[in-house]
Amino acid sequence: MKILIIEDENELADSISEYLSEENYLCEFARTFNQALEKIESFNYDCILLDIMLPDGNGMKILEELKKQNKQDGVIIISAKNALDDKIKGLQIGADDYLTKPFHLSELAARIYSVIRRKQFGNSNTVRQNELEIDLLAKTILVHNNPVILTKKEFDLLLYFIGNKNRVISKSTLAEHLSGDFADMLDNHDFVYAHIKNLKKKLSEAGCESYLKTVYGTGYKWEG
Amino acid sequence: MNKLLNKSLKSFTIYALIVLAASVPAYLYLVDSIWLRELDEHNEIVADRMENELNKLQLSETELNQSIVLWNKIQPGTNLQKTNLDIGRKDSTYTVLRKNPYVTHEDIDRFRGLLRVIEINGENYLLTVETNVEETEETVVAIAVLTFLFFLIMVVGFLILNRRLSVKLWQPFKNTLAKLKAFNLNSQSNISFEKSTILEFEELNVALNKLIEHTVSVYKSQKEFTENASHELQTPLAIIKNKLDILLQKEALTDRQYQIIEDINKALTRVSRINKNLLLLAKIENHQFDDSETINLSELTTECIEQLQEHFSNKDLNLKSSIDEDCVVTGNSILIEILINNLLLNSIRHNLLKGTVGVKLSKSGFIISNSGRAALEQEELFKRFKTASDESSGSGLGLAIVEQICKRHQWKINYEFRQDTHTFKISF
Repeated sequence: MKILIIEDENELADSISEYLSEENYLCEFARTFNQALEKIESFNYDCILLDIMLPDGNGMKILEELKKQNKQDGVIIISAKNALDDKIKGLQIGADDYLTKPFHLSELAARIYSVIRRKQFGNSNTVRQNELEIDLLAKTILVHNNPVILTKKEFDLLLYFIGNKNRVISKSTLAEHLSGDFADMLDNHDFVYAHIKNLKKKLSEAGCESYLKTVYGTGYKWEG
Repeated sequence: MNKLLNKSLKSFTIYALIVLAASVPAYLYLVDSIWLRELDEHNEIVADRMENELNKLQLSETELNQSIVLWNKIQPGTNLQKTNLDIGRKDSTYTVLRKNPYVTHEDIDRFRGLLRVIEINGENYLLTVETNVEETEETVVAIAVLTFLFFLIMVVGFLILNRRLSVKLWQPFKNTLAKLKAFNLNSQSNISFEKSTILEFEELNVALNKLIEHTVSVYKSQKEFTENASHELQTPLAIIKNKLDILLQKEALTDRQYQIIEDINKALTRVSRINKNLLLLAKIENHQFDDSETINLSELTTECIEQLQEHFSNKDLNLKSSIDEDCVVTGNSILIEILINNLLLNSIRHNLLKGTVGVKLSKSGFIISNSGRAALEQEELFKRFKTASDESSGSGLGLAIVEQICKRHQWKINYEFRQDTHTFKISF
């Protein structure tokens, strides 16, 4: 899987690349607007991470260029601006997702995962891990071909773990993912524990192996 | 409150009254002395004439005596009496008050008299000439009435002038005032005052312009600073966050090391939130939100409550909500969602275990209440970074944002603590 990281901040680009390359992702970099244009003209990527605030140009132009060339690359906008206008505009022009800085790398990985799955597997978007089968489109799961009913949040968590296989994800990261903007406004993150407990219970009751491990007391890791 | 012109009008009126009142005795003195001088002159002419005419007649002594008796009888204004006084004696004058015998009612007249020694046929006579003169009181009354009349004319004139002047003269001032009243620092537009031909007003306008320009520029740069600083902070925050994520993946972390990373993570989330909230406040103040959307508040509130449902149950809170259907407001949906969420989250965070949360939405307002122990400080409540209670780990900006959003939509927000319940009430 090829990913293009269009980001002028080296440290950030490096971290993203380091995190992603441990999966099957191959990362390439573009530090400027012009480099980015060159790269998208010459190559195809599975996913492009696009910082729209580049020193020598507006990232939105790159997005427009991509659409003009009728490229099918998935695009996730990364922006320091939380401007809704940009978000709407970006998604209208054809971005697949929008992420505001600062974000967790696990959040980014989960989003890249679903963008790529959506782009490439279209109608039969099913993920399989031994006895577990996840239909990303219908948002249902099967264990040993038997359906297991998950709540919206439990399914969301499961997908998050699938997008971050073999990674340690801390409770606070999950809390941020689940409650969005107001995670820090909640005194405790016990609600995360409650959802995880339910998810684990439902999976194991259906006969699924316990891929979801607890690490360091309050961290989680999906093995697979 | 007094108007400025009315104040000067009062002084002018009092001054005019004093001057005019003082003029009454002056006029009286003047008129009276002119009167008396003229009458003395008249009396002298009468005396001269009598002396000359009587001597010219060449009457015998008996005829003269008879004539004098007759004269004295029918001519009360004059009187001739034989006298031993010298012919060279100086004339003397006097003023006397006498009753008028020919009218039935009480009437006292004033007379001016002249005493002169004249010589008729070699004999010395004392001639008395008296002329009626206007009494002092009557003169005083006439002058006073006239003066008062003038005073009235003056006051009426002042009033009319005052009214006209206050409209015309103060027009530029009123224009300036109206513009100042309409001025809003947030709108960031400079005021342009109308040019005035009056020095004082022009000076005022120039001074105000300078003041406003300065204020606006300071305000702008302060807000730009907040916005820029927040923006600049996003990238380093993102770097720290990502590096922590990578650190977490390293094999062989101890539980203690993991805990430290987690603590840093939590603090970082809080910093990010403060940063985002500062940015949000700056944006609200910079009018970067369109507020002409039509929002179904009933649906939005229900959605927000649903999203937070698990947090209500986590704390065993008893939620009592009464939401009227189809409450529609005009505003910005993102801001209003933030407003509702901030209030709801506050009601969860600052609630007691097994406490109560009340949500009431009607067409006239939105009321949210929660159980609590002690009243919060009204004045500190909506200020930035002033946490009104000590059990807080929030950004310290939640209520400041709530207040700003209310202001933006011209809603009123009130806080009240009664019967162990905090209540926030927003009136549309």
